Amino acid sequence: MNKITVRRLLFLWNSIRKVYSFFFFMGKKSNKTKIFFIVALLPVIMALIIKLNPIFSGRSSTEGIYIFSNVIIVFYLQALILLLALFFGTSVCSEEVEGKTLTYLTTRPVSKSAIILGKYAAYTSLVILMTGIGVTISFLILNVNKLHDFSLYEILIRDVIVLSLGIMCYTALFTFVGTFLKKSILFGFVFGFGWENVIQYFPGSTQRFSIVHYLKSLLPVPKTGRFSFLMFKLEPSTPVAAVFMLFLITGIFLGLACLFFSLKDYIFED
Amino acid sequence: MKTVIETKKLSKWYGNVLGLSDVSLQIEAGITGILGPNGAGKSTFLKLITGQIKPNIGSCTIEGQKIRNNYHFYSKIGFCPEQDSFYEEMTGWQFMTGLLKLHHYSPSEIKAMTKEALEIVELTEDKDRVIKSYSRGMRQRLKFAQAIAHKPEIIVFDEPLNGLDPLGRRKIIRLIKSYEEEGKTILVSSHVLPEIEAMTKQIILIHQGKVFAQGDIHYIRDLIDTHPHIVSIKCRNPRQLASTFIQEDYVLNIHFGSADNTLLIETNNRDKFFSLLPSLFVKYNIEVDEITSPDDNLQAVFDYLVEK
Repeated sequence: MNKITVRRLLFLWNSIRKVYSFFFFMGKKSNKTKIFFIVALLPVIMALIIKLNPIFSGRSSTEGIYIFSNVIIVFYLQALILLLALFFGTSVCSEEVEGKTLTYLTTRPVSKSAIILGKYAAYTSLVILMTGIGVTISFLILNVNKLHDFSLYEILIRDVIVLSLGIMCYTALFTFVGTFLKKSILFGFVFGFGWENVIQYFPGSTQRFSIVHYLKSLLPVPKTGRFSFLMFKLEPSTPVAAVFMLFLITGIFLGLACLFFSLKDYIFED
Repeated sequence: MKTVIETKKLSKWYGNVLGLSDVSLQIEAGITGILGPNGAGKSTFLKLITGQIKPNIGSCTIEGQKIRNNYHFYSKIGFCPEQDSFYEEMTGWQFMTGLLKLHHYSPSEIKAMTKEALEIVELTEDKDRVIKSYSRGMRQRLKFAQAIAHKPEIIVFDEPLNGLDPLGRRKIIRLIKSYEEEGKTILVSSHVLPEIEAMTKQIILIHQGKVFAQGDIHYIRDLIDTHPHIVSIKCRNPRQLASTFIQEDYVLNIHFGSADNTLLIETNNRDKFFSLLPSLFVKYNIEVDEITSPDDNLQAVFDYLVEK
């Protein structure tokens, strides 16, 4: 790499950092974040109900870690992170256009790619933070009687990493969609709750056309039990291939988002 | 004088709607007013020259450089948009410092620049209030502040006086004029002629996406002054008033309006007409209820120029 390329990359990195800090700070304060944080905490309520149910019903309780690994993670994996990534990812571009604030960003000495990448990084961090807090509290509630068992924390860390990879990938996809589609939320719902939820159960290599396939490939496959249906027909990729594919998909969609955002004219509607 | 902004055959359309057509201009340092009625293409022109949208045909350069996606150049440009849009949940201070961060200044520089800009627009006391609680005038001043805070050489103001009270307008006009003294290049758009007149003599007239005239405001004023004006006068005795005006050489036509007691007088010398009007009222003891100029607006002037 010559000096000019290095200087350009450094400038891009610095610009991304500046945009990141602007939107991370703003995102923390926004009403949207507050609402979605409450949504992200819904599994905590579910965990509380599951934990308290045996006390009141007198039935024997199921292993906390078993419930956590199956219900909570799959609830997060198949619904919540999709929902959060959809609303935050599509808003990277659309809230600037709909709110007519794009002008303030595009007339600054930062590249359009830096705007997209910085805002994407800020929103992805916020979603990871929101999800991480919810997952951790749920884990602590469900395993309240086994908190001294440090081997369980490995499961928590693994699951948080898998969810973070999912958030990273889905947010990149929806960021891209938000740069060129006006009704990006609608598309996101069809993709997230239609395509992703159907195609993953197709046998053979077809399921590899869904993001959730690679995320599930990073989780252990329960052979039996009440929740084994959630991994039905999963023909997992190797963990290395799954992580590689998740990063590749993220990179491709972010690259496309930067390209579209740099080339497209955004016209504000009156 | 050196040309700062140059456009060649600049054209832009949105689907079937024409935004700007075949605009070739050279703009020098100092204040240039962009004048035109609403929807004339002023904002499109300003967005094109600041590289926010790309032209369908033609090109635009600032100091000889293409501007679109030439993001390093934006450190030299300040842009005050027309739309009343903000990151509403931020405070004025956070908004200013956040945007200045994008200019890669150090934290101490950002603090000093924000402080100075907010002082200039008299928002220091309200800097810690969230923007959504600001009045329209305060929001307009904050928009102005973000455009000037980084001390750009080229400043583009799109309708900067909208929503300001007369005192605020005077202050902003004075500020804009002070930037001219510093040798900056300033473009100001407005649909109100006196606003532009108060700031500069150099104007560009835009109408229906086309440049109608460019140059000294006196030339435009002459065109406007020769434009026949219709004045509507509502009084107790319109017939008597009509008989007094019929003899005057600057009165072209007199009609009786559809409403009772209304006289419509067409004149080719508005200044003379209005200067003599009070003395005629006194002389003939005419009681007047209302005087209006139904075509005394920029749209009427443009309609006249188009016909010409």
